[in-house]
Amino acid sequence: MTIETTNLQYTYDTGEDALQSVTLSFSPGSFNAVLGHNGSGKSTFAKLLNALLEPSGGSVLIDGLSASDPESILPIRQRVGMVFQNPDNQLVASIVEDDVAFGPENLGIAPEEIRRRVDEALANVHMTAYAEHAPHLLSGGQKQRIAIAGILACLPKCIILDEPTAMLDPKGRAEVLSTIHEMNRKYGITVILITHHMREAVDSDRVIVFSDGTVVADGTPREVFSAKLGVLANAGIDPPETVKLLQALRAKGLHVAGDALTSDECAAAIAVMTKANSKSQIANRKDGGTETKADNSSHSERELILQCRKLRYTYSAGTPFEFEALAGVDFDLPKGVFAGIIGQTGSGKSTFIQHLNGLLKPNAGTILLNGEDLHRDKAAALAAKYKIGLVFQYPEYQLFEETVYKDISFGPKNMNLTDGDIDVRVREAAKFAGLTDDLLDKSPFALSGGQKRRVAIAGVIAMRPEVLILDEPSAGLDPIGRRDLLANLLDYHKSTGSTVLLVSHSMDEIAETAELIYVFNDGKIELSGTPSEVFVNAERLRAIGLDIPEVTQIALKLRKLGIDVPANIYTIDDAVREILRLC
Amino acid sequence: MLKNITLGQFFPGNSVLHRLDPRSKLIITLIYIVALFLCVNFYGYALIAACAVAALIAGRLKPRLIFNGLKPLVFVIVLTAFLNLFYSQSGTILFSWWRLTITDTGIFNALTMLARIILLICGTMLMTYTTSPLALTDALESLLKPLNKIRFPVHELAMMMSIALRFIPTLIEETDKIMTAQKARGADFETGSLFKRAKALLPLLVPLFVSAFRRADELAIAMDARCYNGGTGRTRMKQLRYTALDVKAFALTAVLLAAVIALRVFI
Repeated sequence: MTIETTNLQYTYDTGEDALQSVTLSFSPGSFNAVLGHNGSGKSTFAKLLNALLEPSGGSVLIDGLSASDPESILPIRQRVGMVFQNPDNQLVASIVEDDVAFGPENLGIAPEEIRRRVDEALANVHMTAYAEHAPHLLSGGQKQRIAIAGILACLPKCIILDEPTAMLDPKGRAEVLSTIHEMNRKYGITVILITHHMREAVDSDRVIVFSDGTVVADGTPREVFSAKLGVLANAGIDPPETVKLLQALRAKGLHVAGDALTSDECAAAIAVMTKANSKSQIANRKDGGTETKADNSSHSERELILQCRKLRYTYSAGTPFEFEALAGVDFDLPKGVFAGIIGQTGSGKSTFIQHLNGLLKPNAGTILLNGEDLHRDKAAALAAKYKIGLVFQYPEYQLFEETVYKDISFGPKNMNLTDGDIDVRVREAAKFAGLTDDLLDKSPFALSGGQKRRVAIAGVIAMRPEVLILDEPSAGLDPIGRRDLLANLLDYHKSTGSTVLLVSHSMDEIAETAELIYVFNDGKIELSGTPSEVFVNAERLRAIGLDIPEVTQIALKLRKLGIDVPANIYTIDDAVREILRLC
Repeated sequence: MLKNITLGQFFPGNSVLHRLDPRSKLIITLIYIVALFLCVNFYGYALIAACAVAALIAGRLKPRLIFNGLKPLVFVIVLTAFLNLFYSQSGTILFSWWRLTITDTGIFNALTMLARIILLICGTMLMTYTTSPLALTDALESLLKPLNKIRFPVHELAMMMSIALRFIPTLIEETDKIMTAQKARGADFETGSLFKRAKALLPLLVPLFVSAFRRADELAIAMDARCYNGGTGRTRMKQLRYTALDVKAFALTAVLLAAVIALRVFI
């Protein structure tokens, strides 16, 4: 099985170049990660390999079959399978096993053979128990595994996955990745994984970086991440935390050896360096993991904007689908903080935030907004909608107006404000969300995905809420989009002084932004406090299926290696400071 | 949650009725309807009613399900029967007021109509309760296959139906999400005049349509990538097969039809 592209080019109908002269070949059985910002041409490249697009120039040869030859299209698609980003939009049938059978049925395979392949494929992705389920009832990770099984049943030699984990939570992501690695190891299937997650790229044989339609870096993860950092920055790639930490240490004049990628390697390298510098006297060790950083003014003294007591909520009470989403939540949110909520899918976070602005009414318990009961009368509940602004997941799918301006003004209009007021708010909100004035008159549907999301966020900011709640605002964005959006949100928080509550799956994201963290588990708040108070409980966080920030992981590993750093550092800056202290 | 709705009226099970080939069920239901319209007297209806009850037992369905299914239609059924009461001018006049007369034939006709409609609904319900919408789609595709010869796109229609079935729950979930999101921006779907409420649906319908098109587009690419190339040369993993059970069911149906015709001719 060989995949070769020679001077491959692709030009959109608009005349824009998506790919300019890409020459690559993939060796059989290899595991390749493809990185690149949105619009770098990586998805176009993937579709060309699968003959979903026809090259504008150059050639694609799969096992000697040319993708430009209409006769070879089906044989190529059978050899090179493709899994897409959105789990919902690639499942065809209403029953899992029927969906897996779809590919082989198209290939005209005999029924008994299809049955055999479907059973085998489902076993391979560990989904045999769900063979007769309806796909819409499965989790995102399960759906993606079904999509992979559907490809496996065609007996491909190569699988291309186009950001298969972008819409998944950490658990789903882990499930899907382990499945892909297993297929690669067990059956020698070549994998081409397009991703924005550096941790996924670290585990591959080869990393290829796309930028503006060309390949700007190509090599083992070690080569790419250590040697070509300038190139990576230009290509909009955010290197792994481990690499960033080593870089930061070197910038401070420390000589850390090696090209560590994993947190183990990174910790080992730092340990060797600190021990060599040997100023770290084991004698002056402080005691264990309970140490916290100087507490920045206790939050409990601050005025509370939201208080919840013993909130309970049950879905479909009295039916077989009964599900207790909130099981007694006590929650205090001080005014003016940037806070984070973290928890697994199904831990109750989404249900909880819908209580805060009165969209859902608790079965039991109270919610106080500025000290007053949210549900004391109808007017109060209605007013709460505007005081607590709620941005849902993938908010770009709610846009509906002809222009960006009109869409942002939907909320303020519902508040019955004057046109002048609305105008001021729309422009102000657009600026906070990072939208330029010239976009206001455009149709929201003509914008890029990231811009659409900003429009939706502006639509909520325009209501001037006292608390802005965002559910996974950066899900599915590329690293640059993610970084810029978080910067915009921090900026909004600083310049308006309003309270922000960020719901996220990403520990790194929460660690970077939040002053206060609430950890949800099984419909309750399991842990809360400042990041250092929360991250010190690494074991407890892991037990409920959450990750800890990579920097904290490195710190824990350093401690195991006998290096005295606090167990609760969670940003690269802190880590650098602590390590410098030892050297 | 909207998520938990069940599609169609299918009740999964493993009874004789569930195990019949969906094609047989479709054909038998058609024959049942023909037989029903061939009935002219009490004996015919009694025979068919007996068969319906027997099928109900064979399908291990609770009679309550049938009553629940009939409930929303009670008004239409009663109205039809009531109108029939006055329709007939022949026979002995039992009651007369202004222009309305009720004759004994009228009463008989009304009762006949009542029996006919109820038995008709019962028969089709028995089929939909024991056959999944997906199996029905397959059956239709298989039965309509001869129409391919006159270039009727049978496979494409069946594929469209099954994709629709697949995406209905997904789109319902999406509607729920968009509605909640717009409510958080102060949209009001529940109060106001009819015009106002219709206008309030825009923020819901536009995103829903946009999303449906986006999904359709992505699904089409995904189907392409999985070697979909239309109906020609395509095989099926699950093939419909007539079994001994289907033969028995057809035999019984034939006997029923013959009996109904005999009752019509001789009594």
